[in-house]
Amino acid sequence: MHTKKGFKLRDVCGESIIIAEGKENIDFNNIISMNETSAYLWKAVEGKEFSSDDLARLLTDHYEVDLETASRDASEVARKWLKAGITEE
Amino acid sequence: MRKEVPNALLIPEIAKMLEEGHTVTLGLKGFSMRPFLEDGRDTVLLTRPDHVRKGDTVLAEITPGQYVLHRIIRIKRQEVVLRGDGNIGTERCTLHDIKGFAQGFYRKGRNRPDRTNGLKWKLYSNIWCTLFPVRRYLLAVYRRLWIPLFGPL
Repeated sequence: MHTKKGFKLRDVCGESIIIAEGKENIDFNNIISMNETSAYLWKAVEGKEFSSDDLARLLTDHYEVDLETASRDASEVARKWLKAGITEE
Repeated sequence: MRKEVPNALLIPEIAKMLEEGHTVTLGLKGFSMRPFLEDGRDTVLLTRPDHVRKGDTVLAEITPGQYVLHRIIRIKRQEVVLRGDGNIGTERCTLHDIKGFAQGFYRKGRNRPDRTNGLKWKLYSNIWCTLFPVRRYLLAVYRRLWIPLFGPL
């Protein structure tokens, strides 16, 4: 899967949010707030092709967590992103 | 899920994006731009406020951290007087306090905006502003009779 074009991570008011950014228009009616972990993962995979395993590896690299838990969390994140419409297969 | 962020935090960020040359669409709150615009229903399309004139609807900081999206009724040198279409009272600010210009409005969930340089808006503006002497009564009738019976315009 990969991140969809036009979705950018911005820091707004201290929060990491994904905004639907057309070439010109920034739509505040269409934004998704990300927690610290999610933002970290997004920044690492933005613009690249990645899998749930890649996300799991990024989690074990950055956090004190075993691979099994990381894999579970990674699939959850991947699923949420797909559902939110900010990534596609 | 809709999230609300205080204007004092949000608008400066939006102003920055407008400065960069983006346009921004943002949901509207409040009744101060009735009857054309309605609380929680409509969205404004904002651009950088390059050359604002009397009659333009602009996003302005009227006191530190407090913002309104109102119509300019008078400009004298650097001083600007604003009045919301749904208001009787006015606000004052300077040209420097104007952070955005309303290029159009997405009303009633439509995905094509009513542009403020378009005929519909201009006609409405003309008529509504001419009716200012009786605005107080029109708004009262609108609020007490029309909306309960027919819903907002």
